[in-house]
Amino acid sequence: MTTQTRSHRALRYAVPAVVLVLFLLVPTLVRGEYYLHVLVGVMFFAYMASAWNIVCGYTGQLSLGHSALCGIGGYLSTLLFINLGLTPWVGMFIGAFCAMVVGVFVGYPCFRLRGPYFALTTIAFAEILRIWVENTEEILGIELRGAQGLSVPLKGHSPGLFQFDGKVAYYYIIIGMLLAVMAVTFWMERSRIGFYLKAIRGDQDAAEALGINSTRYLLSAMALSSFLTALGGSFYAQYFRYINPERNMGLDLSIEFALMGIVGGQGTVLGPVLGAFLLTPAGEISRATLGGKFPGLHLVIYGLVLVLAVLFLPKGLIQPIRQFLGRGAAGRAGGKSAAA
Amino acid sequence: MDPIILGIAVVNGVIVGGLYGAIALGLSLIFGVMRVINFAHGSFLMLGLFIPFWLWKLFGVNPYLAAVVAAPALFGIGYLIQATIIAPLFKRERAMVLEPLSVLLLTAGVGIMLDNLALMTVGPDFRGITMEFAAKALWIGTVLNINYTRLIAFLVSLAITVAMSLFLARTDLGRAIRSTAQNRDAAALCGINVPRVYNITFGLGCAILGIVGCVMIPFYLVSPAVGLAFGIRSFIVVVLGGIGSIPGSILGGLILGVVESVTAQFVTATSASIFSFVIFILVLFFRPTGLMGMKV
Amino acid sequence: MRRMLFVIGLSVVALVLSSGLALAGEKVDEVKIGGVLSLSGMAANQGTQTKTGAIIAADEINAKGGIPALGGAKIKLFFGDSQSKPDVGASETERIIQRENVSVLFGAYQSAVTTVTTEVAERYKTPWLVTGSVADIITQRGFKYTFRPNNKAIYDAREQLDAIKGLTQETGKGPKSIGILVEGTDWGKSHATNLRKLAKDMGYEIVLDEAYSPGTMDFSAQILKIKSRKPEALVIAMYTPDHIVFTKQTYEGKLDIPFGIHSVGAGSEDPNFYKAVPVQAVEYMFVQEDFQIDITEVADWTKPIDKKFREMLGYELTSYGAQGYSAIYTIYDVLQRAGSVDKEKIREAFTKTNIVSGPALIMGWQKIAFDQDGQNLDAHGVISQNLKGKRTSIWPLANRPKGIKPVWPIPAWKDR
Repeated sequence: MTTQTRSHRALRYAVPAVVLVLFLLVPTLVRGEYYLHVLVGVMFFAYMASAWNIVCGYTGQLSLGHSALCGIGGYLSTLLFINLGLTPWVGMFIGAFCAMVVGVFVGYPCFRLRGPYFALTTIAFAEILRIWVENTEEILGIELRGAQGLSVPLKGHSPGLFQFDGKVAYYYIIIGMLLAVMAVTFWMERSRIGFYLKAIRGDQDAAEALGINSTRYLLSAMALSSFLTALGGSFYAQYFRYINPERNMGLDLSIEFALMGIVGGQGTVLGPVLGAFLLTPAGEISRATLGGKFPGLHLVIYGLVLVLAVLFLPKGLIQPIRQFLGRGAAGRAGGKSAAA
Repeated sequence: MDPIILGIAVVNGVIVGGLYGAIALGLSLIFGVMRVINFAHGSFLMLGLFIPFWLWKLFGVNPYLAAVVAAPALFGIGYLIQATIIAPLFKRERAMVLEPLSVLLLTAGVGIMLDNLALMTVGPDFRGITMEFAAKALWIGTVLNINYTRLIAFLVSLAITVAMSLFLARTDLGRAIRSTAQNRDAAALCGINVPRVYNITFGLGCAILGIVGCVMIPFYLVSPAVGLAFGIRSFIVVVLGGIGSIPGSILGGLILGVVESVTAQFVTATSASIFSFVIFILVLFFRPTGLMGMKV
Repeated sequence: MRRMLFVIGLSVVALVLSSGLALAGEKVDEVKIGGVLSLSGMAANQGTQTKTGAIIAADEINAKGGIPALGGAKIKLFFGDSQSKPDVGASETERIIQRENVSVLFGAYQSAVTTVTTEVAERYKTPWLVTGSVADIITQRGFKYTFRPNNKAIYDAREQLDAIKGLTQETGKGPKSIGILVEGTDWGKSHATNLRKLAKDMGYEIVLDEAYSPGTMDFSAQILKIKSRKPEALVIAMYTPDHIVFTKQTYEGKLDIPFGIHSVGAGSEDPNFYKAVPVQAVEYMFVQEDFQIDITEVADWTKPIDKKFREMLGYELTSYGAQGYSAIYTIYDVLQRAGSVDKEKIREAFTKTNIVSGPALIMGWQKIAFDQDGQNLDAHGVISQNLKGKRTSIWPLANRPKGIKPVWPIPAWKDR
């Protein structure tokens, strides 16, 4: 029994549409590559947090190893490009597929663990991969360059090779990717998978008692998340044109993804996006204004924002926004309730 | 592999492992009682190292004596942070069972703040103390030498473990802490002031780091970033030994120390750390409660 | 309807706010120079030292009336914190170029960061003067706007081995085998790779080739390995914390290496290292310094700079501080010849650089000039040996002060 009136429904579609149009118009409205650069960064993290959210937000498990998947995507597409000349447009999907296999393979034993144990295991797996890559100069004749990282060969403006002059193209690509991942999340929420995941998140034992094959659904979510995360890793490689194990497979990055997903509101479509939109500019602005003058202060502020967000926005940023937009009680459950 | 070399590697591993165990002790305690993964653990260790350093630098106080100041100071800081920042999270959750994610993030945020407040106040430099005594070692034969300060750190680590175990087993407060760990609601029903127990536990976990810092600073060093290196290692120790188990923490530390030391003789140390993680994962899969842990 | 307008309004406001306020128009009596450095994180030490050196140089120049060829324009420095992360460094570079409109940048110490930031600068056609980063690739990409006055990584390795060979020739005694112990990330491992290549060509046998994880608390395992493999010379690459622990333990364990421990810098160039280890522990240790460590004794004009540095940071001038100082004076020289703040003219002037005297040579180089890849071929470090508690330059011979004789081979601990 919906209490939504026609105007509510119109609002639901009109508001996102208008916001989207505004963002699409940004490059034409605003001059300044730096500003665009910040937005690309924000969108990138929004994308990654959303991809993370697909498995973690909906299953209630905390993965702190997602940077490994990002790194796999970035490394594979770059290696294929350097060694075989394969365009990253194709390479990124190969990388994503491999990441998906790895994700499922690792997830299978991991999902038997709960809570903090799961989180610690994901950290361990990611660290193993990172350390292995850091220590490997070459494998099977392919140069991995270990800790020194890989530079993507510069080809100037070549759209076919996923390299562009300027930032505008990257901006639109990442917006496209973000919309895609949001759409996938939206669809998944309403599908059978989403339904079962909600049950599993609520109480895994009870769900299994009801005959739900939790492993299958958890792994499906993991596969999806891994695939999308790796695509993001390839984007990173093409945008910054340099990747190394420390940054791209490191714990810091995993924590950043998780942070944005949680602070924004995990288990929702918009949550991670909001989290990225809050935390990324907060970090940028405080570093830009304070970083050069008072080293460390901007990070103190970042930590403070984090603490405040957890204390006062327990379900994430999305909750007050939702209430404001009148979707509070009548809205979809969407995994919003924190699992017991 | 020369058995003498192997033997020496084991001894060295044990000495350093004992210290790992002591460092992880607080983490294990806090997690066992409160189910809080304290991501700020390394930052408290950093404070525990800075206090004896500054006392030595400014007043010439012997770091071992500084424990008299460091332990209560860290107890106070830990108590305060738990009571003001983390406790609200407990109050909010109805079933008083924390979402592991929220508290993890919260402590991570606290850790970032502590590290960078330190950076802002004292700057990024690495500092150590120099003591005549610190450079002397106990020689066994001509090849094995154990630095006195590390030996002391090892013995103190054992002593802390024993003291903690006795405290938890024999004192009223210790029993209160243990019963809260086993079943919070039942403990509350028995009249135990659970929030106060939590505050004290967190304070104790940090106080241990105060003592550890004092015995570490003679042979190690301190800087605002020093805590980062101990984070993951402490988790491995806690999981290995068993969450919430005091003797388990030392055991986990010893195992980790020996594994690191021995594997480093065969492969390069960076690759050896992969071994540690592999063991970590295996323990998590096959014996998640660790070697001596309580059922979670 | 109202809510929709509100949300739209909020989005517009958010977009506008986050774009920030545009800067006031460029002042014509100022030259803007940007520095992207690691001011927080593990390498905060070095970044802060470089920043301090740069500030000292800029203050000096401004006090003397700014840059004559630009009508007395003063230098204004803008600093960004790379947090030791490549993408953050890139962001800061973007920001400083775009928002502050700088004419030239310098930085960023870590090679991983500099690799990315120089690319950003290249895309914006803004000249970048490298400080402290040694990765070979930085000047191997055909970039037109990257200029590196300091060594490439391979030079460091070559110098260390050249010094060993040189001392061998001087005294008739030398090592046949070498041990390598490096920190296990980017810098250490690439140094090991370079050493391996060169050592083989020079006829040395490598009997130990080790990498350790950063944050190691205990080097007993590595020291044990060293004692069993018995290299006659040991080359190490360590950052400050590891170096402190390692050196203390070699002292406690009375590790004897006949032809010495050769440290390639970083930790052993940090004054904090020397404050934290007993002076006997570092005796006879060789350090590949990025600059001539005893320059303040040899060149009087450097004394006031050292004094200022001590005032600001509490310890003597380090190579990172000297790099910052040298960078600003190099840029000063370039600006004098460019006569403009136009980036293209500055770039042109960079390519024609030929500094053979003056404050920019505080590093101890004899010349700063850039080849077509932007590399200063005359860049070199200076190897010092710690004699009676003082680091004294002993290699190359041109930098060895008169009357100094290096100790070679190194006396065993029981003979000291």
